[in-house]
Amino acid sequence: MTLAINILQVLILIVAAPLVRGIIARMKALLQRRRGASIWRPYAELFKLLRKEELVPPTSSAVFRLAPAVLFGATACAAAFVPVVHASALLGSYGDFFLLVYMMALGRFFLSLGALDGGSAFGGMGASREALVSSLAEAPFLLGLVALAISASRADIAGIVAWTLGQNIFEISVVHILAFTSLAMVALAETGRMPVDNPTTHLELTMIHEGMVLEYSGPSLALIEWASAIKLHVMLALLIVLFCPWGMSTTWSGLGIALAMFLYCAKAAILMILLSVIESAVAKLRMYLVPDFLGVASAVSALAVIFTMWIKR
Amino acid sequence: MLMGPTGAPFVLLLVVLGVAVPLILIASRAQSARKLAITLILTASFAGCVVAVFGFLGQMAPRLDLSWATPFPFSLTVDRLSALFLLLVCSVAIPVTLFAVPYFDLHYSEQRRNWTWAFFSLFLLSMIVVVTASTGFAFLAGWELMTLASAALILIEGDSAERRHNVFIYLLMMHAGAAAVAACFFLFLPYSHGLDFGAIRASGAGMPSGIRAAIFLAAFVGFGAKAGIIPLHLWLPRAHPIAPSPVSALMSGVMLKTAIYGFVRFAFDFLGGGPLWCGYIVLLAGAVSGLLGVLYAIAEHDLKRLLAYHSVENIGIIYLGLGTSLLFLACHAPLLAALALIAALLHTFNHALFKSLLFLGAGAISSATGTVDLEELGGLQSRMPVTGTTFLIACCSIVGLPLFNGFISEWLTFRSFLAGSVLTNTKAQIVLPLMVGVLALIGGLAAACFVKAFGVAFLGRPRSTEAEHAVEVPVPMRSGMTLLAAACLLIGILPGLLLRPLASLVQGLIPGAGVPEETLSIARIMPWIAAIVLGASAFAAFLNRRKRMARTWACGLPGLSSRMQYTSTVFSKPIRFVFARVYRPDRKVEQLPTDQPYFPVSISYRSVRTTSYERALYRPFVELVVSLAHRLRRLQTGNIQVYLLYIFLALVSLLTFLRFQR
Repeated sequence: MTLAINILQVLILIVAAPLVRGIIARMKALLQRRRGASIWRPYAELFKLLRKEELVPPTSSAVFRLAPAVLFGATACAAAFVPVVHASALLGSYGDFFLLVYMMALGRFFLSLGALDGGSAFGGMGASREALVSSLAEAPFLLGLVALAISASRADIAGIVAWTLGQNIFEISVVHILAFTSLAMVALAETGRMPVDNPTTHLELTMIHEGMVLEYSGPSLALIEWASAIKLHVMLALLIVLFCPWGMSTTWSGLGIALAMFLYCAKAAILMILLSVIESAVAKLRMYLVPDFLGVASAVSALAVIFTMWIKR
Repeated sequence: MLMGPTGAPFVLLLVVLGVAVPLILIASRAQSARKLAITLILTASFAGCVVAVFGFLGQMAPRLDLSWATPFPFSLTVDRLSALFLLLVCSVAIPVTLFAVPYFDLHYSEQRRNWTWAFFSLFLLSMIVVVTASTGFAFLAGWELMTLASAALILIEGDSAERRHNVFIYLLMMHAGAAAVAACFFLFLPYSHGLDFGAIRASGAGMPSGIRAAIFLAAFVGFGAKAGIIPLHLWLPRAHPIAPSPVSALMSGVMLKTAIYGFVRFAFDFLGGGPLWCGYIVLLAGAVSGLLGVLYAIAEHDLKRLLAYHSVENIGIIYLGLGTSLLFLACHAPLLAALALIAALLHTFNHALFKSLLFLGAGAISSATGTVDLEELGGLQSRMPVTGTTFLIACCSIVGLPLFNGFISEWLTFRSFLAGSVLTNTKAQIVLPLMVGVLALIGGLAAACFVKAFGVAFLGRPRSTEAEHAVEVPVPMRSGMTLLAAACLLIGILPGLLLRPLASLVQGLIPGAGVPEETLSIARIMPWIAAIVLGASAFAAFLNRRKRMARTWACGLPGLSSRMQYTSTVFSKPIRFVFARVYRPDRKVEQLPTDQPYFPVSISYRSVRTTSYERALYRPFVELVVSLAHRLRRLQTGNIQVYLLYIFLALVSLLTFLRFQR
């Protein structure tokens, strides 16, 4: 039963990921007074790409073809650390948040290499910018999680969630507010959303992630798109279960799981609305303002770590 | 004199490397003699590995006492800590020797080759003596031989004025460091009445705190100079890139580690930790070295200089672990101190593996293309697949990505920082968790740097005709690199192999420490993670099968040239821009002719990272030494009567000293 639910949680994160993208795109369209595409369109795109043949640059090496597979494998593995409906995870008992963050780093490393292997200027440009953003985003990401881990005296995400479930919702401390702020900022940077990166652009002056994947096509592109959707979903799920886990099931009863599932969808919907409002309201930052953005996130997360001193009993 | 069943291979190791190989090579220039010597080096290294594995598992500790033949007590012992480092030296020596066979043949003339191998053997011997020494004299003798043998190996490559200048700086800093190390030993002397490690260890606890602090600081400076912590790193980016690549691999992979060994021996084994400030100093040195090391590395486009700066960075990470361990010791938390020390020692071992692999990769590149300038490379992965794949594994390891060995030790360091939050000391309780951010920044920047190094050198299109016509290196070079890459992967996926004996080693150094549960949990989860990632990747790789070659889109232009690719310099530009304060670049724009600013014939632009702060640090010191030397020169008058007066005065003062001594 435990194993079944844990595998179910991983599958939710992986399979529902394109849906998250579709819903956000639809909400943005509604905010911009367009009708927008169906929320199921990302699935249709994945199937279309998977059926297509792949175009490979003649100068590229095996790394180009390997990179999407490694990116997908690493991101899928990262999903196995995150609880969704029950305060446990497939790799929860021994794995901690450092592993989660570094699994994502593994995928990103290979995607950047794949981008450089295309041999065009755009791949290098995307990889170079991604290197800047991701190298500065790692510190606030980890520090924000460290603050939570210190409060909970646990290092595994499922353990932190279980601890938070036992707390009273009205006893939210300043640590949680600061950590949420920094992690939310990092989530925007890590998943390439506004104001750090524009996921819908193909303009060479502004693109980061899209620049890296420009040379990819067919099933490889599908894998990359799917992996980045999983990453977005994992980050959303992290924000939900770390800061608002109430309603998650603590037992293995079917009713509890179903209720938790419903509540998770509701919370995710709220976050998605927030994200689409931010994306519609904010302009993209200039490239060299992104370090300032992440610097603020780092400072806030460092404050969160420092304030854990006072809330500990 | 000789004890333990593994004594025989240990003696074999010393005799072969120290006597047999140099003698054979000096006696004969024949090809067969050299082959015999190389076989002997490989056999001896293998014997060393066997001795080390037995010692590391705590089975037996061979002890060799040569005091009857030497003016000072000279003995070698392989206890557990020594065994770990002996294993490090010997296990890296085998692949490096394999690699060096065709490398030296390719790069050196007949007569130089023999000298190179002879010094290579002595260099290995010196490092083995350093890590197994159990008297101060043996340690210092090995320490000195190590410096001289490596300097000789650098000078064999050539003797241009610049090279000699760099070797001079290397020797100068090494001897300043050696003086500090010797001072450490002599400070023990009044309390231990001998330089045997056993006596020193016994006297460690009973000394006044002032002397303990002095010893700690001298050890920090002396071993720090060898390890290359900032600001004592000056020699490192000068000496490592100009050495032959297999020697760079040994220097960066192994020689730096002897400094870590020495520091652990003094700080943990002899002194048993210290007050809190010791931990903070080491932690600060680690953080500064790590951050500045990686930032300087990003700005480099000479592959070997880039790797040398990464050694500074990784030594910084090791020092972060050591500092954390010292802090825990000072706060009386032995279990956590053990965790941090295991992290530092494991990173030492891992760094030896992946850094020597990276330098061997750089050697393979320079053999194939004749350059290690990243701007001249590119597209090597399809031309040199084995070199490329092993280099990629080493890159992933040094960046600390999961499934590779660097991750295990960085993860343990992260966990020991996190564990700092349970301390009762308020300052340490805040500082240690914040160090997570520092290490994360180091890791993120290292990832950026190695995306650049691997991506520019091995991927995309070749940027020069040499790179375009590169061919894969000979089999022995490939096999050396493959061995190291396999070791990196093995430790990355099955870390329990090393962590269990490491835990018992650390228990011997830190009394009262158990086995930290983190070491068990990471050993348990890594195989599962490997299975999941490989499974998901295989599923993903199965999805895409149909492929068609198509040229990269060139924005409608006739075709892409290699000049349109991102170069190493431009790749790192955003990071250099953000951290411009650290580099303080010195830019020079020249226009010709100068009287026609709007119609220039040529414009040249040059930008270099300034070393102004290094100058600011070292200049006063150098000036002080030079002015002292000038003043001392007045003693040297050239007049024989004055010299006689000196002798007389010296005699009188010695006699008075003896009189009052009683």
